[in-house]
Amino acid sequence: MTEKATTGEKKAVGVRAPGICWSCQAEVSGEHFCPACDKIQPQPPDTDYFCFFGLDRKLALDAAALERRFHDLSWKLHPDNFHAASTYEQELSLEKAAVLNDAYRTLRDPVARVEYLLGLEGIRREGEIKQQAPPDLLAEVFELNEYLEELRAAKRAGGEAREMNELRHRLEQARESFQQKLECVLEELTDQFSRFDAAPESAARKNALQRMSEILNRHSYIRNLVRNVSDELEEE
Amino acid sequence: MGRIVGIDLGTTYSLVAYTDAATRKPVCLADEQGRTLLPSVVSLDPAGSVVVGWPARERLLRQAERTVYSVKRLMGKGLEDVREELQLFPFRLAPGSESVIRIQLGEKIFTPPEISAFILRELKRRAEAFFSEEVSRAVITVPAYFNDAQRQATKDAGRIAGLEVERLVNEPTAASLAYGLDKHQRALIGVYDFGGGTFDISLLRLQEGLFEVLATNGDTHLGGDDIDNLLAEKARAEIHQQLKLDVAENPELYQSLRNAVIAAKHALSAEERTTLRFPLDARGDYVRELTRAEFESWIEPIIERTLGPAKRALKDAGLKPEQMDEVVLVGGSTRIPLVRRRVEQLFRRRPHCELNPDEVVALGAALQANILAGGVEDMLLLDVTPLSLGIETLGGAVAKIIPRNSTIPASATEMFTTYADNQTGVDIHVVQGERELVKDCRSLARFTLKIPPQPAGLPRVEVKFLIDADGLLQVTARDIRTGQQASVEVKPSYGLSDDEVERMILESIEYAEADFAATQLIGARNEADAVLRATARALAEPQAQELAPEERREIEQAEAALRQALAGDDYRLIRERIEALNQATHHLAEMLMNAAMQTALKGKRADEVNL
Repeated sequence: MTEKATTGEKKAVGVRAPGICWSCQAEVSGEHFCPACDKIQPQPPDTDYFCFFGLDRKLALDAAALERRFHDLSWKLHPDNFHAASTYEQELSLEKAAVLNDAYRTLRDPVARVEYLLGLEGIRREGEIKQQAPPDLLAEVFELNEYLEELRAAKRAGGEAREMNELRHRLEQARESFQQKLECVLEELTDQFSRFDAAPESAARKNALQRMSEILNRHSYIRNLVRNVSDELEEE
Repeated sequence: MGRIVGIDLGTTYSLVAYTDAATRKPVCLADEQGRTLLPSVVSLDPAGSVVVGWPARERLLRQAERTVYSVKRLMGKGLEDVREELQLFPFRLAPGSESVIRIQLGEKIFTPPEISAFILRELKRRAEAFFSEEVSRAVITVPAYFNDAQRQATKDAGRIAGLEVERLVNEPTAASLAYGLDKHQRALIGVYDFGGGTFDISLLRLQEGLFEVLATNGDTHLGGDDIDNLLAEKARAEIHQQLKLDVAENPELYQSLRNAVIAAKHALSAEERTTLRFPLDARGDYVRELTRAEFESWIEPIIERTLGPAKRALKDAGLKPEQMDEVVLVGGSTRIPLVRRRVEQLFRRRPHCELNPDEVVALGAALQANILAGGVEDMLLLDVTPLSLGIETLGGAVAKIIPRNSTIPASATEMFTTYADNQTGVDIHVVQGERELVKDCRSLARFTLKIPPQPAGLPRVEVKFLIDADGLLQVTARDIRTGQQASVEVKPSYGLSDDEVERMILESIEYAEADFAATQLIGARNEADAVLRATARALAEPQAQELAPEERREIEQAEAALRQALAGDDYRLIRERIEALNQATHHLAEMLMNAAMQTALKGKRADEVNL
């Protein structure tokens, strides 16, 4: 690794102004390493996950290319490479490696990627989800919850095996049906990616974002539902 | 800077290894008797010195209450966590064990990190003897499923032993490094690590030297110990029934019963049946035939418990068992044939077991040490955090901020504000675990964010939670409005404070020299006893009559000299005289050997003799 630091002792750190390398004072513009002296550089405060990977703020991502970039940056930024470096460089490496991992975890998953983007664009706070049943699913959700309740009650009462199996079977079918819906919703979501990525002006962007936010609500509702059923089925 | 060694601090055995600079191959270091394993057993001598390893293990049979084993299971634990388990161990707890266990050994009280430190110090010494220089830096392995408190306790143990812990590495990941699977261009690897006290499963993707853990799961309370305890309990119940004697009432006797069932367990890994023989003085022996089938039917439920975590890890990684390209077995308990069959059934492929399952983790630790020392640049480990990190929200619920199986280092940033005017603190409670409610998760730490008095909702304090490459949590806070670092004093829920660790470091230095001599002395005495017994036996053989008188005199003189040394407490002198006696009996041993050979060969044709 070329980034492996050469000196073990803590050395006085130079100017830490934005746009200037702390070590050699050369000009830097958001690179992970100084183009002149190859020293690891701090994160500019406004770097988002897309920037960190050197990507435009676009939703359609090539998963294989993203992984390659992740591996490449891991080799360079991991704290193992800075074990003999100054404390400052160790801190930078730790911080940057953490952001790298956080960013990759977020960007590789389409749902997390959209959630993150909606946060960046100020459409909604990260993790803020409306837990409201979509009206068209109300009947099915109602039925599912009833089965769930019955199964829980039967478990508590130590119910008959035949009855429990019947309930389990029904729940599995319901889960299957919701699982399929989930895949449809995911497709709907990814359909919006190209709309957002292609939108030049802010109104259309905003429009796509709003639509994705709605789809995401639907998605997270169904996902929780499926998760609850799975938890109940796999508990024993 | 000095060299960095790799240490496997195991439940049953501990080892130290280093990577040879020239060959880049890791090697386990042996003690003077050529043994790489060091039993993770510590005993306090009535004279007040500490004995570690093999001699300490012997003391379990004579001074069970002054001896502690499997202390790894108590690391980072509080009283409530181990109440059930302690019934099976002979340890006595001292008061004040709520958040850190305190074990009473004779007149003294030790915490699990201090006891582990005695083991680490012994390994450190072994390395120093080998390199003839001070060794003060180490990579130490921990079970992948260890939580923050257990990891911190391990790091504390290192500090108390005078070691700079350069990295904590997960055991299954270390093992995958050692297996040399990096020759693969791209492969999926499963590591099934079933040790003395803990079980881990890790799934990795390997690509051109990059070892990327995809998911890990496990049980830090599941291992060979559980099998031993189960067998000992079965035997105890049978003895009680047949001979009306409760072995459990006598800790030393119970320990020898435990040793007997462990021997039977080991035998059944190779044989279809074995005889469990346990002498009980006046009441006759307890003798029992045990078949492998019966043994397997007993331990089956314990082995089954490893499959749940294995399936959860596969699910988290989004993988099917048959997708794994290689499966590797680690840990002594994987010698059990039933374990191998179960793993093979699950992954539908024959698992690797070429490397000694006891040594492979230490070898991997030595490789990671070499990576940190800069000796390797084409290998990199990307590990994950085994448990989700969360913070308590209103109503005792958990808000997850870093999900399990996130690659480490990992971080999360949360914004906090105040609800009342002039509120000067915000309480934050950090937990680890997968459940929805705080009460079902593991409390990690609490702290109060200090905030200058301001109107409600105005302060904006950003708290950054960072899990570092050791899997340990770091917390920093920053006031967004002023840009100032806010002070964060994290109080761990389980574990030692910095002051306590500092004090223990000082205390342990006092122990160091005296203990080393004491351990050596016991080892040397045991060996001297064995050599003297063997000599006496040899001299009684008929062939010994043929010894020249001066030879016999020499042997007798060497014997007397050794006995004299035994009366003192200089272990070096004892070792010297053992060596002298060995020299003196060299010819006698040869004569006996030849005689034995003649007997064995008698009646065989020359072409049958294949020497």
